[in-house]
Amino acid sequence: MNAAKASKKRKAVTRDVEEEAGVFSGDELNHDNLDGALSDNANDLSDSEQDDSESEIELIYDFSDEEDDEDALDSDEIPSDGEQAETKPTVVSQVDRDQPNVRVVKDANGNDRFLYDEINPDDNSDYSEAEENANTIGDIPLTFYDMYPHIGYDINGKKIMRPAKGEALDALLESIEIPKGWTGLTDPATGKPLQLSQDELELLKKVQMNEIPAEGYDPYEPTVEWFTSQQEIMPLSAAPEPKRRFVPSKHEAKRVMKIVKAIREGRILPYRPPEEREETDEDVINYDLWADEVERPDHIMHVPAPKLPPPGYEESYHPPAEYLPDKKERKEWEQTDPEDREKDFLANDFGSLRRVPGYENFIKEKFERCLDLYLAPRVRRSKLNIDPESLLPKLPSPEELKPFPTTCATVFRGHKGRVRSLAVDPLGIWLATGGDDGTVRVWELLTGRQLWSANLSDEEAVNVVRWRPGKDAVILAAAVGDDIYLAVPPIAEPEIEKASLEILDAGWGYAASNPAPSAAEANKKSTPPQWIRPSSALTEAGICVVIPLRYVVKSLSWHRRGDYFVTICPGSSTPASVAISIHTLSKHITQFPFRRRLKGGGAPQTAHFHPSKPILFVANQRSIRAYDLSRQLLVKILQPGARWISSFDIHPTSASASGGDNIIVGSYDRRLLWHDLDLSPRPYKTLRYHRKAIRAVKFHPGGRYPLFADASDDGSLQIFHGSVTGDMLSNASIVPLKVLKGHKITGELGVLDIDWHPREAWCVSAGADGTCRLWM
Amino acid sequence: MNGDQTADFAADAPVQRQVRVHLTSKQEEIALPESTGPILIPTGLRRYALSTLVNNLLSTEKPVPFEFLINGTFLRTSIDEYLTANGISSETTLEIEYVRALIPPLHIASFQHDDWVSSADVLSTTSPAASWASGATVAKGQERILSASYDGLLRIWNMSSETIATSPAAADGGHNASIKAAKFVSPHQIVSAGLDRTVRLWKYSEEEDGFSGKISPQLELYGHKSGIDSLAVHGPSSRILTASSDHTVGFWSSKKSESPAAPENLLPSSAARTSKRRKLNSSVSTPQRGPLSLLSAHTGPVSAAIFDARDSTVGYSTSWDHSLRTWDLMTASLVDTRTTSHSLLSLEHLPDLHLLAAGTSARHITLIDPRTSATTLSAMTLRGHTNAVVSLARDPHSTYGLISGSHDGTCRIWDIRSTKTDKDGVVGESVYTISRKSLEEEGKSDSKRVGGEGVKVFSVCWDQTVGIVSAGEDKRIQINRGEGVLSSKK
Repeated sequence: MNAAKASKKRKAVTRDVEEEAGVFSGDELNHDNLDGALSDNANDLSDSEQDDSESEIELIYDFSDEEDDEDALDSDEIPSDGEQAETKPTVVSQVDRDQPNVRVVKDANGNDRFLYDEINPDDNSDYSEAEENANTIGDIPLTFYDMYPHIGYDINGKKIMRPAKGEALDALLESIEIPKGWTGLTDPATGKPLQLSQDELELLKKVQMNEIPAEGYDPYEPTVEWFTSQQEIMPLSAAPEPKRRFVPSKHEAKRVMKIVKAIREGRILPYRPPEEREETDEDVINYDLWADEVERPDHIMHVPAPKLPPPGYEESYHPPAEYLPDKKERKEWEQTDPEDREKDFLANDFGSLRRVPGYENFIKEKFERCLDLYLAPRVRRSKLNIDPESLLPKLPSPEELKPFPTTCATVFRGHKGRVRSLAVDPLGIWLATGGDDGTVRVWELLTGRQLWSANLSDEEAVNVVRWRPGKDAVILAAAVGDDIYLAVPPIAEPEIEKASLEILDAGWGYAASNPAPSAAEANKKSTPPQWIRPSSALTEAGICVVIPLRYVVKSLSWHRRGDYFVTICPGSSTPASVAISIHTLSKHITQFPFRRRLKGGGAPQTAHFHPSKPILFVANQRSIRAYDLSRQLLVKILQPGARWISSFDIHPTSASASGGDNIIVGSYDRRLLWHDLDLSPRPYKTLRYHRKAIRAVKFHPGGRYPLFADASDDGSLQIFHGSVTGDMLSNASIVPLKVLKGHKITGELGVLDIDWHPREAWCVSAGADGTCRLWM
Repeated sequence: MNGDQTADFAADAPVQRQVRVHLTSKQEEIALPESTGPILIPTGLRRYALSTLVNNLLSTEKPVPFEFLINGTFLRTSIDEYLTANGISSETTLEIEYVRALIPPLHIASFQHDDWVSSADVLSTTSPAASWASGATVAKGQERILSASYDGLLRIWNMSSETIATSPAAADGGHNASIKAAKFVSPHQIVSAGLDRTVRLWKYSEEEDGFSGKISPQLELYGHKSGIDSLAVHGPSSRILTASSDHTVGFWSSKKSESPAAPENLLPSSAARTSKRRKLNSSVSTPQRGPLSLLSAHTGPVSAAIFDARDSTVGYSTSWDHSLRTWDLMTASLVDTRTTSHSLLSLEHLPDLHLLAAGTSARHITLIDPRTSATTLSAMTLRGHTNAVVSLARDPHSTYGLISGSHDGTCRIWDIRSTKTDKDGVVGESVYTISRKSLEEEGKSDSKRVGGEGVKVFSVCWDQTVGIVSAGEDKRIQINRGEGVLSSKK
């Protein structure tokens, strides 16, 4: 026990040091036996490991140990040495008790000789020498020997003679000089007069006084906890904890059930607090001061009863005309709630007193008074004092967000069949459209005059038309069926036309310097297609380059600098490796950057380049992925939560460093979703205003107007205000501005494409009814 | 309270409140005699009653409709309501000026074309081209109408809807793209410009009988890099202003001798594409010249450019970039820029009011004071059109009058004294609306075309003799005339 305690204390010390510095302190190094210290440490480590492995309770014990030992730690500067000195003798005595009381000594012959220690009998020993003269008669009264001259026998069998009784004179003498300790009693054991010593008297006195007889006995010795309440690391008993300690007692359960039963049967009643007796303050009397008020002369000690205001003219039975309410006032009074009325009566002119009727509310008021006395609530008013207007989100009025397109300014009529795609040129003067009749047309934007038209295919529809960005050239890309046509419409001035042709023709040389793949390679499906020159008829019409892609192109998007564009062939028969292709204008190269199908979400739908960073956004049916083209990494995956994405657009201020990337996504399941890329892969806002699928979404380019629009199969466009703030703290605010209706729904299809004027708040839409419309 | 009292009073008393008015007119032939003092009239009178009154006072044989101006605005309500609205006491003497009312312009004729008509101009005794030309005057009844069409041809019409002359086709030195603007420089010279980026001057000569004529190319001016949308002519100084989508304003001379050489790179021979489709006008060789200067400050396509009506050295231009710019043409420098909040598509100068009227894409006309001292950007807004206002012309009869042509298929006549109070303040109200005859002929006169489809008006011109000439998408030149106004002039 003590050893355990000591070790614990050492442990405490080491631990203390560890806590302080994490190294051995000087004290520890000064120890006599470093080995021990280390081994102790080892033990401690194992102990602590044990502790760690055990429950928290153990840790708590450890802490409590430390607290116990704190005194010791504080008191001695060199703790372990002193402790050891104290503990040593006990250890020896313990060891001695176990050994036999014999020493083996070699005698003269060399044999073992057992030398027993001398038995040193203490006071309790039976071997104490009996008194020579002690009476041996045993436990019989001495009166049995009254008739004999002796009073008993000593140990040797000799008669112990009755001591001779002195003469009366002796007795007198003795009575005169009383020796010290005389008691006047005879000792029954000896028959001699009993003399008690001073100590014995003291003892008797203490016994009489109910005091502790022994001198120096401390009844309030500090207890030594042989069996401590604390669980020791090395317990005295290794017996496993008995079951009764942790098994709930059946007996107790039985008793509890008994009590429960009794409570249920009502034999045991719950505690009822003693009834408080109504403390009627008999002695406090409330006086009604003015119960019997009589007129008294004015006096300083006289407090008159408070006066009620006298009735006014209004309350008169015949009030002056100006007090009478007019129709409007009467109506207003009748319409207000009885609780809210300023006064509970209306002035009424009865003409004369005899015409005054009985009080109509008499019975009612009496009844109300009764109810008041009964504290009966009559009205439950759970009125919420919330202005319903304040619950609506604070949106700026559309009037403040002008300009935005509101009316149809021009109708572009000419296409036979649906107009599938349209685009306003970077200068904002022309509009290019492409439709089911296989023609690409260019119109004057403001007047709706068709300037140029080229019939690219008789069977297949023009799926996409897109102008090349940049004002240095006028190049129109159109996707018709499997082919992509690059055209220079003859509308621009000769210089720009020349520049455009040069841009398109520059790649022929590059393509020629890199020889075409062999026929075998060309048959392989994933071989990039060769750009070819169009037929002479098409060249006449202004077409310069044809890219045969073998699969139907549905989406085409230019890079901002105008040298690349990405196309998507979303058809189900398209192999995954050729579904997405990037075309380089200056080299006449087509590349397929993706070998495998995008994981999850179906076929790719549309793709756009980031306005400033080398990032390509590719949308498949359910997600949008952002690929860093320079590092060839997947940067981000957006999960708009739409079932089938139709289109998306990237906010143009994404080009600036300050603005975060914002993306709008339109889906065939009628949702328009606003994504803030910095915020979350989930949409920041979902707008469900359309009754049918959304076909196209578009931000106003250039960021001059914070507008965006969507086009839907329900034949309408919706214009939204979506301003993106420069700081990262505030989110974009989105305000629906206008629904533009005009396109007729033809064959379940409404508006198929939408585009914005590059500078003005004008937008154009392509309808399935064969018209395009300019909205301004 | 006051109103109630008077209402009560009026209800009770059969006698109407009366007000003392003083009727005046600035036109002598309809002025009342000097002796006519203030007269007492009931306040319940409206314009029609007042007009009858004045006719009675003048004892005219045929009643002449009059409009009445109180404090510079037309009377559109009863006098009583006017007094109440303006807080004028009925005891003061009202100064009422009366002018001839504009008669609803009647349709006179329509000239059918093969293609959209982009521009129209008039040659008559009162037209600017004739007034500039000192020698050759236009005889009465010999008025000519010039139309420019999207098919690239200019046509000269007489008033009997007969084509007198047609400009040569592209192969014979004509425009090889749509013409967007054309004007008479003099009775014998025509200028036109269009999407082929050239300004062309033509010599117009007529036979003696006046039933046939010839338009022959005189000069080709190169300089613009994009289509030309409108042009303005100042005859005495033989200067031309053009507005082009290449963001510049061209300043040209109509005289070959004054013009510098044409920029080489813009000549058609330098065109990159050696296409058979693009025929070079080899048959006719026309002198080619360049611009006096190209004024570039606009950041969007320039929609209109005009000369100041008083000072031909000052030019104004409007652009899609929302700005109106004032130019000093002598030094070819920018003087002033006024930026509005909408794209401006047309421009006209109202010299007596020192205002510029600019038609916007936002379906209204703003009146802008171009003087630098003016503090307010927009003096007034004229609202009523339902589509972009692309053409403006002055009223030859009145300094307050204006006509606008819009893509909504209507021309509207405005008098800036005719106003109403709107939530945006005082806005102008159109006096009359001229719709396209082609719509009426189709029997759909009441139906409104979305976006003015098929009936867009591209150009409007108002001549004192001929009337209002407007050209539009319906392939017609339409002539309207307010009969009453003209008959009084005889």
